[in-house]
Amino acid sequence: MKIFLALLIIILVVFGGYHLTFRQFKIPLFARTFYLSGLEFILLGVLLGPLFFNVLDENSIGGLEPLMALLLAWVGMLFGFQFEISILRRFPILQLLAAIGEGLVTLVLVFAGIYLTFGLFPEIPKNMKIIYSLALGAGAACTAQTGLALVASAHSIVNKDSLNLLRYISSIGGAGALIMYGFVFLLHPEPTSSVSFLYRIAIEVGNTIVACIGLLILYTLFLTKWRRSEELHLIIIGMAVLSSGMASVLNLSPLLLNFLMGFWLVNLSLEKERIFKFLISVEKPVYLMILVFLGAYFKLDSAWPLILAVSYIVFRSVGKFSGWFLVLALKPDSKKHNPKLGLALIDQGGLPLAILLDLLLGFRGEFTLIVVSTAIVAIVFNDIIGIYFQKRLFVVKSNE
Amino acid sequence: MNSSYWRKENLTSYCLAFIVLVFVCLWLKSLHIESSWQQAGLLNLSVGALMLSAHIIGKILKSFGLPLISGYIFTGILAGPYVSGFLSFDMVQRLGLINDLALSFIGLVAGGSLHLELLKKRIRPITFNVLFQAIIIFTAVFTFVNSLGQSFSFTQAISPVQLTALAIILGATAVARSPSSAIAVINECKAKGPFSETILSVTVAIDVLIIILFTVAMTVVRLLFAQTADAFHGAFFVVLIEIGLSVIAGIAMGKGISFFIENIREHLPLFLFFLAFGIARFSLAMSYLMETYMGFSIHLEPLLICMSAGFFVQNFTPSGFFFKNNLQKIEIPIYVLFFSVTGAHMNLQALSVTWPLALSLAGVRIFAILTASWLAGTLSGDLPQYNRVAWMGYITQAGVTIGLAQLAYRQFPEIALYISTVVLAIVLINEIIGPIALKMALYLSGEVKTNSN
Repeated sequence: MKIFLALLIIILVVFGGYHLTFRQFKIPLFARTFYLSGLEFILLGVLLGPLFFNVLDENSIGGLEPLMALLLAWVGMLFGFQFEISILRRFPILQLLAAIGEGLVTLVLVFAGIYLTFGLFPEIPKNMKIIYSLALGAGAACTAQTGLALVASAHSIVNKDSLNLLRYISSIGGAGALIMYGFVFLLHPEPTSSVSFLYRIAIEVGNTIVACIGLLILYTLFLTKWRRSEELHLIIIGMAVLSSGMASVLNLSPLLLNFLMGFWLVNLSLEKERIFKFLISVEKPVYLMILVFLGAYFKLDSAWPLILAVSYIVFRSVGKFSGWFLVLALKPDSKKHNPKLGLALIDQGGLPLAILLDLLLGFRGEFTLIVVSTAIVAIVFNDIIGIYFQKRLFVVKSNE
Repeated sequence: MNSSYWRKENLTSYCLAFIVLVFVCLWLKSLHIESSWQQAGLLNLSVGALMLSAHIIGKILKSFGLPLISGYIFTGILAGPYVSGFLSFDMVQRLGLINDLALSFIGLVAGGSLHLELLKKRIRPITFNVLFQAIIIFTAVFTFVNSLGQSFSFTQAISPVQLTALAIILGATAVARSPSSAIAVINECKAKGPFSETILSVTVAIDVLIIILFTVAMTVVRLLFAQTADAFHGAFFVVLIEIGLSVIAGIAMGKGISFFIENIREHLPLFLFFLAFGIARFSLAMSYLMETYMGFSIHLEPLLICMSAGFFVQNFTPSGFFFKNNLQKIEIPIYVLFFSVTGAHMNLQALSVTWPLALSLAGVRIFAILTASWLAGTLSGDLPQYNRVAWMGYITQAGVTIGLAQLAYRQFPEIALYISTVVLAIVLINEIIGPIALKMALYLSGEVKTNSN
């Protein structure tokens, strides 16, 4: 009974919260920024979780794992839809490479920085340190699009070209990182397995390829003909549920597997517009539910692990700055852009949080909980200061 | 490209998709499952595969003229624990949540499909049908079981008192219908007119009446078994209160939906989906809490609440059209899940044990329905073309009947085995032939728009 109560409360909170946050409140930009960071939903999750009211206790959360897998699949598919090759080709190839390169530079720096910081935590097994560092690095490479979109639409702005470039980077930058994140699942520890590491990796890669091929064939067969909206919705929901289940059973990431499916659909399906319209129609409730679940999992027994959060923030800032310099180095018109604009890429958004939930579900354990909790703190901090920097760098003050 | 070529090509892609789906599932089911995350994945995998394959089989059967829901039910039976075992007993149990949710949603659709104007015009045939069907079906099934029950091997060893009790319970459950099947087939055929509206109204009305009828039947059986029957008036009174409260809750819910449509509008399908879920769980939780802390319980009927809500929004608010349109957007996924899970619940073992009795009872029930609907139609002056086929529209039985049988199962351990086995077998038969018969009836009545008419 408790699991249903928990689900009902989450739904109520998310639904009500969505309408209050995104539709009803006419509040100033900064306050809206605070709301858009999603902090309030994470706090709600914390309140509902075992730390406070215990509505979402361990059993209830466990019972809701199928729903979480579906949410991750949904986010993955939506992210994949941003990579429509015909649209990407409208921009110079150097710009695309620069955007992906920016993400990868951040990933490498955060990976290295976090891995070094893990030296302070000798009790964490070595392979888990690599897994955590890679996952955090992948999340760090992402940049939020909402904040930049908000700045672009809400105020009179300066450096419009730079803002457009940043928006492009924010939509592309996470792709390389997400694919790198997929490698985390190849390192999945299997206590009962007696086969060699390389053989296991070969099996995992083989499973991934077979799963992808199976799903792609199914999508192709289902979508070769025009379908009525209701039927199309059924197919998309059914496929999302199926692929999230496949990913979990195979110990793969539902996020990544469905990112690949989204990428496939947006480039090869005739129904891409209708599918995207359906996927995006519930985007915000999906993200908000992810925030509530992350909040419920939140666990920090001491302040010591927060050193990890500090390290994450520092290395990510360095990464974003370096990444921006890489962009400037690759772009022929680099003089047009302010070298400080790396600060505008600090805002992280929802995808890294989805990566954290994915990590949490795929690699259960006490250490994972602590790592994810500290990362949540860092991401929320980045979201709040990120939007502040964006405002500083782009918005023209009315009294100026 | 002509339509038959198109249909053939479409059918080929469905068949290929089904084969791929089967291979994918066989492969994944063969893997070793260790963690809870993999367990959760297995549930998603099963639900996703069930949804997609039910959709495929529904489409394939539709091309042979069968209703979609027959395909969904058939898929559920195939995937269920009694045939392929793709869905284990435990998984089917866990998917029961989907049934609760979907049933509430279907209640909204059923209520939203009833138009007051048309109901007023058809009040005579509806009243006659409800009354005659309740009386004739109960009497026929009761008489048959009571007089011939001991001729069947399954019920040979039963005592005369137990046989009478069984006859009463089976008679009452035989009156029950499946509003979900009726609404799904009527919507699928896009049937519109007095015939389909009467079938739906009678089905919905009987669904309310059956609660009262069943309470009376249970009380009489209690008397037969010399259990206390002092509470007869009390029980009857409680049922009336429950119905009244359910209708009031439904009106309140309808007002809430109307408020949402007028003020927010966005994400209505999602809102309705969650509302249906909330209602189903809320009524169960309330009943449980009252039972635990107060020693008695008032069970609000989620289906009735949702029907009343749908009816209210459709007929007493300006939001009816928008409401109905939005319901249609999510009804297919709901039907697919609901009926395939219903199929997975179907107990084939029960049928194999009791098939002579179950088949005979199904036959008696159909004959009683035929008599009652013909009488009702003739007395209310319906068109002969309706009278000839009306009986075909009232055969379906599903969740409500099983729910009632479970109630009786818990109350009367003396005859529990007989009740559950026979009812499950009869429901299986009626749920297979019912939708097909209803679809035929709708076509024969001329209320389905086809290329020719």
